[in-house]
Amino acid sequence: MRLLLIEDEAKLGEYLRKGLSEEGYTVDTAINGVDGLHMAMELEYDLIVLDGMLPGIDGFAVLAALRQSKATPVLMLTARSDVEDRVRGLQSGADDYMVKPFAFSELVARIQVLLRRTCMHQQSPEPTILSEGDLELDLIRRKATRAGTRLDLTAKEFNLLALLLRRKGEVLSRTELASQVWDMNFDSETNVVEVAVRRLRMKVDHPFGTPLIQTVRGMGYVLEARAVG
Amino acid sequence: MNTAAPVPHLGKYLFRWLAILTMLGLGAVSLAVYLVFDHTLSVRQQEMLDQKQASLTHVLADDLKEHRTKSLQHMLMDFLAGHGDYAVYIKDDAGNTLFDSRTASFPAHHSIERSFRVSFYSEQSEQLLSANATLVMDRRPDDALLRSLAWTLLASMVAGSLILSLFGRLLVRKSLRPIKALVAQIGDITAKDFEKRLDGSALPQELHPLVTQFNALLDRLADAYRQLESFNADVAHELNTPLATLISSSEVVLRKPRPVEEMREVLESNLEDLRRIASIVGDMLFLSRADRGAGAREKKSARLAPVASEVADFYEAVALDANLRIEIDGDASAPIDAPLIRRALSNLLSNATRYARTGSAVVIQLRNRQQADHQEAVITVCNEGAGIEATHLRHLFERFYRADSSRHNADHNHGLGLAIVQAIAKMHGGSVFAESDTSGTRIGIILPAS
Repeated sequence: MRLLLIEDEAKLGEYLRKGLSEEGYTVDTAINGVDGLHMAMELEYDLIVLDGMLPGIDGFAVLAALRQSKATPVLMLTARSDVEDRVRGLQSGADDYMVKPFAFSELVARIQVLLRRTCMHQQSPEPTILSEGDLELDLIRRKATRAGTRLDLTAKEFNLLALLLRRKGEVLSRTELASQVWDMNFDSETNVVEVAVRRLRMKVDHPFGTPLIQTVRGMGYVLEARAVG
Repeated sequence: MNTAAPVPHLGKYLFRWLAILTMLGLGAVSLAVYLVFDHTLSVRQQEMLDQKQASLTHVLADDLKEHRTKSLQHMLMDFLAGHGDYAVYIKDDAGNTLFDSRTASFPAHHSIERSFRVSFYSEQSEQLLSANATLVMDRRPDDALLRSLAWTLLASMVAGSLILSLFGRLLVRKSLRPIKALVAQIGDITAKDFEKRLDGSALPQELHPLVTQFNALLDRLADAYRQLESFNADVAHELNTPLATLISSSEVVLRKPRPVEEMREVLESNLEDLRRIASIVGDMLFLSRADRGAGAREKKSARLAPVASEVADFYEAVALDANLRIEIDGDASAPIDAPLIRRALSNLLSNATRYARTGSAVVIQLRNRQQADHQEAVITVCNEGAGIEATHLRHLFERFYRADSSRHNADHNHGLGLAIVQAIAKMHGGSVFAESDTSGTRIGIILPAS
């Protein structure tokens, strides 16, 4: 997968390039709108990460010019969280929108969603049974078992576990979990997600030997089998 | 005065209107005096003519009685002697003038005439004759009197209104002098004078409300300013704590070569602090947008119970953990921006679950109620517990205010939660309230519903 990153802040651009490269993407960078637009028009990218405020021509103008001829998915970044800006970004053809400062893990998650959306037609239908190790989730019967034992989960706990399983190996931030599982789209200052994950862990991990739900400090949670110790 | 739109200069304005009104008033009085006087003169003229007519008739009758002792001519001249302002002429039925005392100087146009029948003895025909006599009265002295009266009245009207309005202007100037003093007092107040207020004791009664209101405005401004000052201090403090940790932990870890695991731990801890800073900044940006008057994005009329139940679901784990039940009581509907209301309810529940007594129920009460001219929806989140003291209750919605300085969960709670609830209520054109007693606390939002 080849990404184009158009970002004028050198330090942030470099970190993003590094982080995204490590995630397995080929990343080209441009530090202004003119170069960025030129590269986006001449070369083929799977996705463009575009900063809203750029010297020369700004992100919105780049996006408008690009949309004249190309439908490459665009993820806009901006420092302003004003509603007008968000609306303006989405109206001028951005596929998603993120406000600085954002969590890197969330940027990766959104990039994956966008990429998945564009190659949806090639994908096989979603499986109805998710599993990891001895944990198994039947999405249709809404039944969860681990090592053959039925787990007694509430509806939301089931959804939370299903999301972690579906995106296993991927770090999910608290904000993203709150948004995906409970549809709470704000940066909650409560410890709700933590408590929910702790309770889920007591049911899914505690009675069994290997913990599956891992905490990534400062970032969120990930479901993966890890050797203890 | 507030009906006359632009008043460029109060003194001139009053001067002009005082002059016009005085002129009109005096004019009306003068006109009345003139008319009454004119009427009185006419009546007196008629009375004089009555008298003269009677005495002329009498003289001619006497002459008849005494059998022509004198000639008619002679008799009439005697009658008119000393009465220069009267004249008489007599014509017989054929129109021949028998007598005429009018001279060329007698004014034909400024006179009053009265004709009547008289009988007299004619020397020529030696018999009694009847003829038309006409009395003519010179009106000029009366006219002159009337004219001088008119001029006097006119002069006094103009002079009177000039004098009155000049005095008026002086009075206006004098009574506006306290305002100049007031302006000087206001000019002395600087942005730092929180305690200085206007002294209205020397001012006229009418200006007291102005002074009172101005002082009340100063009070409000001083309050807002103090709040802003303490807010800045709170922001600095709130950001300073994680920043200090970040700086010192980074410095310490860089002093010596460390194993990767240790470096990793410091970075993870730093990330937590950075998230906290970002969350505070995000909340402050939200509040500042609300302060700048940003309204709710889209308000759709909706039932509140489903929204409340979503938020209650969100808090399910927290409630189970703390051995609490979350109940929804009733339902209401109002035009809302659902994501914002979810956020407000989440903050209210966060607060309520933190202070609720173990084993009790946190109740989200939803009510529609009818006010005088509109419908409102009231969302109340009630929790049982020790309650909040009245001194704290007033400040509950202030930014960074903490009733309990040793509050647990400080990592998750930077004291902006209820301020955001208030901002969201304002974005919907509503308000917030908080009540507390020994049995528990009720905090809620009132939203306009119609």
